[in-house]
Amino acid sequence: MRDWNIQARSRQARLARASSLAKGKEIGAADVAALLEAVLEPGDRVCLEGNNQKQADFLARALADLDPEKIHDLHMVQSVLALPEHIDVFERGVASKLDFSFSGPQAGRLAKLVGAHRIKIGAIHTYLELFGRYFVDLTPRVALVCAQAADRAGNLYTGPNTEDTPVIVEATAFKSGIVIAQVNEIVETLPRVDIPGGWVDFIVQSPKPHFIEPLFTRDPAQISEIQVLMAMMAIKGIYAEYGVDRLNHGIGFDTAAIELILPTYAQSLGLKGKICRHWALNPHPALIPAIEAGFVESVHSFGSELGMEAYIRARPDIFFTGADGSMRSNRAMCQAAGHYACDLFIGSTLQIDLAGNSSTATLGRIAGFGGAPNMGADARGRRHASPAWLKAGREARAGRNLIPRGQKLVVQMVETFREHMQPAFVERLDAWELAETANMDLPPVMIYGEDVSHILTEEGIANLLLCRTDEEREQAIRGVAGYTPVGLGRDKAMVENLRDRGIIRRPEDLGIDKRDATRDLLAARSVKDLVRASGGLYDPPKRFRNW
Amino acid sequence: MNSYYEASARERLRLLLDPGTFHEFLPPSERVASPHLLQLDTPAAFDDGIIVGKGLLDGRAVLAAAQEGGFMGGAVGEVHGAKLVGLLERARDERPAAVLLLVESGGVRLHEANAGLIGVSEIMRAVLALRSAGVPVIVLDGGQFGCFGGMGIVARLCDAIVMSEEGRLGLSGPEVIETTCGVEEFDSRDRALVWRTVGGKHRYLLGEADALVADDAAAFRQAAIDLLDTKPDLSLEALTAEHERLGGRLERFGACRDALDIWSALGIAAPEKLPLLEADAFRAAVAGKRA
Repeated sequence: MRDWNIQARSRQARLARASSLAKGKEIGAADVAALLEAVLEPGDRVCLEGNNQKQADFLARALADLDPEKIHDLHMVQSVLALPEHIDVFERGVASKLDFSFSGPQAGRLAKLVGAHRIKIGAIHTYLELFGRYFVDLTPRVALVCAQAADRAGNLYTGPNTEDTPVIVEATAFKSGIVIAQVNEIVETLPRVDIPGGWVDFIVQSPKPHFIEPLFTRDPAQISEIQVLMAMMAIKGIYAEYGVDRLNHGIGFDTAAIELILPTYAQSLGLKGKICRHWALNPHPALIPAIEAGFVESVHSFGSELGMEAYIRARPDIFFTGADGSMRSNRAMCQAAGHYACDLFIGSTLQIDLAGNSSTATLGRIAGFGGAPNMGADARGRRHASPAWLKAGREARAGRNLIPRGQKLVVQMVETFREHMQPAFVERLDAWELAETANMDLPPVMIYGEDVSHILTEEGIANLLLCRTDEEREQAIRGVAGYTPVGLGRDKAMVENLRDRGIIRRPEDLGIDKRDATRDLLAARSVKDLVRASGGLYDPPKRFRNW
Repeated sequence: MNSYYEASARERLRLLLDPGTFHEFLPPSERVASPHLLQLDTPAAFDDGIIVGKGLLDGRAVLAAAQEGGFMGGAVGEVHGAKLVGLLERARDERPAAVLLLVESGGVRLHEANAGLIGVSEIMRAVLALRSAGVPVIVLDGGQFGCFGGMGIVARLCDAIVMSEEGRLGLSGPEVIETTCGVEEFDSRDRALVWRTVGGKHRYLLGEADALVADDAAAFRQAAIDLLDTKPDLSLEALTAEHERLGGRLERFGACRDALDIWSALGIAAPEKLPLLEADAFRAAVAGKRA
C-alpha cells in the first residue's frame, strides 16, 4: 500500500536529529551550524529569506559556512540575492540550483558563476510568480526566515518589514517543512504576532540585528529641473487627463519628483482629491509632503523604509498598522494589489526599443526582475471598472471591432540620455545579447511594449494607446527620443502628424512653460525639508543627513 | 525663501547685494579663462569659476567675490586666484565698507597645482594686508562644496565668518582624511558625522564662525550687514589673548573623540538634539555656551 505520509515522517526524523540542540524552540547562536546540519539533507529545496530589504543574514552566513561534504546540492529558492553570502552558498558547493526573482547587488557574481556552470538557474521570476510556485512545485523543505523578535513559543514579530515572511512560512509550514527564524531579540511578550508560533520550529537570536537596506529613500537635493519638468508632464498630461486615483510608483528620482510636486504643482491645478489618493507603495519619505497636504488617503506597502517608523505610527489612517501601532507590510499582498487594484504604474528603465519594450539588463549581470513586471503589466484578468482604466481601454480600442474593456496605464519615464550620455532609446536591447551569452530562454524584458501605454521623456509624452500600426508606434517613440540616434532617425512629417493627432504631446502642447520647471516647485528640496514636513517624525538614516 | 545652498555664485551675489547694484569686473564676456586647463584639454569656464565685482550692501559700497562650486568644486587655479587677489588689492585703494567673500571651494585646483598654491598664498597675504589697512573681510560659507584646503585657511584669516548649518569649513576635506587615515578614523560617507565635525553648527560652537544663520540668502545678507562695522582689534595683546584661547581650547577638548563629546563638555543639555534644531532655536539653545 502506498505511504501517504512520507513528508511528515521526514520532518519528524529531522526534528528528532535536532532535538538535543534545542531548548524548547530556542537554539543558541553557536549551535546554528549543528542545527542546519541536523535538519538539512543533500538536495533539499531551501528558502533563504533574502528580501528586497531585510535579510536573514546570520542564517545565510551559517548556511554558506556548512561543510559541503555533508550538505550539498541544495536547491535555493529565494526572492532576492542581496548579500555576498547568497552567492557564497553556491561558490562553496553547498547549493547548486537556484530559482529567484531579483539579484541586483550580486548580479555580476551571479553571471560569472552561471557562466562557470557552478549555478544552475531553474528560472528567473517576478515576485508573484515565485511566491506562486512556492505553493505549486517549488515548496521549500526548509525555510530560513528573519524577524524582529520572537517569544519562547516561537511566535514572531516581524516589525514593519514583514515583507516576504508570511508567504514563505505559510508555504513551508503547511507542507511538512521546517521553519527556522533568526530574530534580533527573544522577549516575554511580543508587541503583536505576525507569524503564529505553531508554524515555527526553531528560533535563534542573531548576534547582530538583521541587515535592512533603506532602498526607497531619494534625497530631494539630487532631483534635477529636467526631472521636475517630466513630473509636471506626468501630472498634467497623464494623471489629470485620466483621473489616476490608484497607483504604484517605481523607485527613482523621476517618480520622487512627481511625489514632491503634488502639494505644489498638482495643488495649483486643482487636482487635490481628484488624483493620487490610493497607493500601493513602500513608505517613500518623498511622499511625506503630499500626505501632509492631504493628497493621500491610503498607502499599502511591500516593505517598510528605515527612518519612517515613527511617522507611520503617527499616521495610522494612511498606512496599514497593527494594534501595536507599527506598520505591517506584505510583499505578496501588495504585489497583488499593485497588479489588480491600481490603474497606473510609472517607473524608469535603462533601455527602450522601437516597439516600446524596456529592459534594465546589462551585459555581464543577471539582475532578474523583482516586482516591476507585476506592476507594469496590463492586468488582463481585471474586470472591475474605473474611469482611468475605461478611458485607457477606449483609446486603445477606438475604431477597432473589439468588445469593450479597460486597460492599465503603464508609463515608462526616462530622460533621453541617461548616465554617461548613454542613450535610453536603442534599436536593439542589450537584453538580446545577454540572453545569448547566459543561455536564457528569452531576452529579459522588464516591461513588454504591448503593455506600455505612455513613454514620457523631457521631449514629451508618446501615447502608444492611440497608435494603430507598428510604424506609428515606432515613430511615436522616435518622436520623444530627442537627440539620441533613435530620435534623430525619425520621420519628421510623420512625427508632426502624430503631434497633430495628440499622440505626441510636447510640454507646450500641454500648456506647460518649461521656465516654470524649477526646483522651487519641490515641496521638499532636501532630506531635512522632509524631516520638517513630517514634524520631526521622520528620522533618516545617517547617510542621508547633512546635519 | 531662497536657498543659499542651492543658488549659483551669481544668484548668491544678486540676492546678497542691494538689487541691481552689482557690477562685475572681468565678466565672462572678457573670456579670461585658465590657460592650463586649455593645455590639458579640460573644459574651462569664461570666469574661471569666480565672480568679482563691486556693489552696494544696505546702501554702502562693498567689493565682493563669489566662488562657483559648480565649476571644479570652486577650486583655486591661477586666474581664479589672481582675480581674488586683484579684488583684495583694489579694496586697499578704494576703501569700501567691507570685502565679502562668498566662498565655496575644495582648495587648490590640482590641474594647476603650483600656480594655484601660489595663488592661495597671495590671497592670504592680500587678506592680511587689507585687514591691517582697516577694511574688514567677511566670509560667507553656505555652499554645496563647503570651504576646504587653502580656502579654509584663507577663511580663518578673515575678520568674520557667517555660516549656515549646511556650510562646511575645514582644512582637509572628509574624503581626504578618509583616504589618508582610513575609514576607521573618518567615514566620509557618514554624512551626519561629516556635518557635526566640519559643519556650520560645530564651527559656531567652537567660536570659529561668528554667525550661524538659516540656509536663506536673506539671512546671509542680514548677517553680512550686521558685520559691516566689525572693527577687529589687531593689537599684540589681542593676538596673544587669541592664541591663549586657542591653546586652552585644545587642552579642554583635545581628548574628545566626537563633536558630541565637545558639545557635552560645553555644558549643552541634550547635545544629540542640536543637529535637528533650526538656526534660531539652535542659537537660543547654545547661548552663552560657545567655546
